[in-house]
Amino acid sequence: MDTAIKAKGYQKNQKKILTKTNVMLYLMIATPLILYYIFHYIPMPGIIIGFQQYGLSGFKYWVGFNNFKTAFATFFFWEAFRNSWVFVAFGYIFVTPTPIIFALLMNEVRIKWFKKGVQTISTLPHFVTWVVIGGLFIQLLSPSTGYINLLIKFFGGQPIFFMSNAALFPWMFTFIRIWKNVGYSAIIYLAALSGIDPQLYEAAVIDGANKLRQVWHITLPGIRTTILVLVVLSFSSVLSGMFEPIFILKNSMNRSTAEVLDTYIYSVGIIQGKFNIATAVGLFKAVISMFLLFTANFLSKRVTEDGRSIL
Amino acid sequence: MLKRSTGEKVFNVVNIFFFIIFTCMMLLPIVYVLKQSFEVGIGGSLNLSLLPAKFSGLYYQMVVKEESVYRPFLNSVYITIVGTSSSLLVNAIGAYTLSKRELPGSKAFIYFLVIFPMLFGGGLIPTYLLMRALGLIDRYAVLIIPAMASGWNMILIRNYYWSIPDSLAESARIDGAEEFTVFFRIILPLAKPVLAAIALFTGVGFWNTFMAAIIYIRSPQKYTFPVKLREMILIQATSMKDAQMWEAMLMAMGFDPAQTAVTADGLSSAMMIVSMLPIILIYPYLQKHFAAGIMVGSIKG
Repeated sequence: MDTAIKAKGYQKNQKKILTKTNVMLYLMIATPLILYYIFHYIPMPGIIIGFQQYGLSGFKYWVGFNNFKTAFATFFFWEAFRNSWVFVAFGYIFVTPTPIIFALLMNEVRIKWFKKGVQTISTLPHFVTWVVIGGLFIQLLSPSTGYINLLIKFFGGQPIFFMSNAALFPWMFTFIRIWKNVGYSAIIYLAALSGIDPQLYEAAVIDGANKLRQVWHITLPGIRTTILVLVVLSFSSVLSGMFEPIFILKNSMNRSTAEVLDTYIYSVGIIQGKFNIATAVGLFKAVISMFLLFTANFLSKRVTEDGRSIL
Repeated sequence: MLKRSTGEKVFNVVNIFFFIIFTCMMLLPIVYVLKQSFEVGIGGSLNLSLLPAKFSGLYYQMVVKEESVYRPFLNSVYITIVGTSSSLLVNAIGAYTLSKRELPGSKAFIYFLVIFPMLFGGGLIPTYLLMRALGLIDRYAVLIIPAMASGWNMILIRNYYWSIPDSLAESARIDGAEEFTVFFRIILPLAKPVLAAIALFTGVGFWNTFMAAIIYIRSPQKYTFPVKLREMILIQATSMKDAQMWEAMLMAMGFDPAQTAVTADGLSSAMMIVSMLPIILIYPYLQKHFAAGIMVGSIKG
C-alpha cells in the first residue's frame, strides 16, 4: 500500500521536480499564472510612458520628469489631489467610526427579530453598484422632484441644491458612503463584540460599574485590536476605489470639490488622450499608495496580537 | 439575567427608537425610487405620499421593450453568467495546485498571484494600451478575461481544500487515480459550499461591472446595464444634447415628446429597481456567506 501511494500520489521530500504528478499540478495552475502575467505584469513596465513624450502613434522621445512638472503646474491636478485627501480625511473622521458606534448600539438591542431585520436592510446597499446608489440619492435629493426637497417646500423652505453645490458635496458624499457601507462594515465589529466573555460584564456589575463604564473598560478594549487592524489595513487603499462613486456623482456644478485623482487620470488619459501626463499622475499616486502600504505593514506588526505583519 | 436599572430601560427604548429612524433612512431612497418607477407624470407636484398616486407599469414595459435599455441588461446577464462560471472554474482548478504545500514553487505562486500585484501595477493607461494592443477594446472579452483569475479567491478556495480530509484523496490514489481525476471526482464535489460563496460574490462583481465598461467599451449596444443606467440618470433636460437624445428615445418608443408625461427620471428609477432585483433575489444566500465575503473584502481593502 505504501508503495502504491508513493508511485501515484503526491510525496513528501520529493527530489525530482518534474514528476508526472507535479507537471499535472503545474498545468492546473497555468491558466491563472498566464492571465496574471498578461494583465498584471505586462502593463507594469508601461509606467516608463510617464517619462516619455508619447503620442497617438506611440513613443516619441524621452522627457525625464517633464510630464510630472507639467502635471504639477496644472491647477486641476492640485484640485483633484486636494479633493482626494479631503475624502480620505472625512473617511477617517466620519466613515470609519460610524460602523463601530452602530455595532456598539446594535449589541445592546435584545429583540432578536428586530436586530436581524435592521441588519438585513442596512447590509444590502453594500452589494449594489455605486451607479444605483448614486442614482437613488440624485433622485431623492433632486431640487425639483426629490422627496427631501418636496418636504422642505412643504414646510415652506427653499429647495436645496444638494448635489450641485460644491461646498456641500464632500458632506453629501461622506453621508452616502456611510449609508452604503455602515451595515456591512459593522458585521466584523459585531462578530468581535460577540467574542467578549460575558463574565467580564457580570464581574463589572458586581463591582458597581454602570453601562458607560462597562463599555469603556470592557467593550472597547475587547474590540480594540479589530479596530486597529482594520484602520491600519485601510491605509494602503485610501486613494483607490473613488472612481465609481465620483464618476456617477460628479457634475459640472460640483466638479471643483468632487474630482479625485482616479477620475482626473481617466479624463486626462482616456478622454483627452494625454497618455504620458496621465501615466505620470498615476505613477505619482502609486508611489504614495506604496509608501502607505509599507507604513501599514510596519504598523500592523504593532497592532496585531501575535506581531504578524499583513504582507 | 442581569437586572436592569431605570437608566438602562430608558436607554433601551431610545436605542430601539434610534434604530427605527435609522432603518427608515436606509429604506427611504429605495422606497422613493420604487414609487417613482410605478408612477407616470406626477413628478414635481407636492405629493408627499410614498405610494404612487396612480399605479402604472409603463416604465417597466419600456425597460423590456426598448432595445437601448434591454440590450445592456442582456449584456450584463451574459457577462455575469460567462464571467462567473469561467472565473470559478479557473480559480477552483488553480487553487488545487496552491493547496499542495510540498509542491516546489507553491510559495512563489502566492507571491506572483497576490503579493507582487498588490505592490506594483501599471496603472490605468499602460493597462489600457495593453488592451488596445491585444485588440480587446470594445469587446465583451475585455470585461471577462482580465477579471477571471483572482489570487484572493484562489486562497479562499485553497483554505477550504485544506479542510477536506486527505484520506479520501489517498484512497482514490491507491486505486490508481491521477491528480486531475482526484480533483474532479473527489475534491471538487466536496468543495461546493466555498464554491457557492465565491460564485455569489464573483457574480455580484460581474453584474455590477461599470468602470471597465466605461474605459474599454465604446459602442452603446455593448454597454453593460450600469453604464446605460448612468447615462439615463445623468440626462438633464437643461443640456441640449441630452434633451435631443431623450426625445429620440421617446420617439423610437412611440411617444410624442411634446405630449407625454413620461420622464427620464421615471425610466431610470425602474432601471435602478431592475438592477437591484438580482441582488435582492440572491440576498438570502449571500447573507449565509458574509464571513467568506468579508475575508475577500478585507484582504482586497
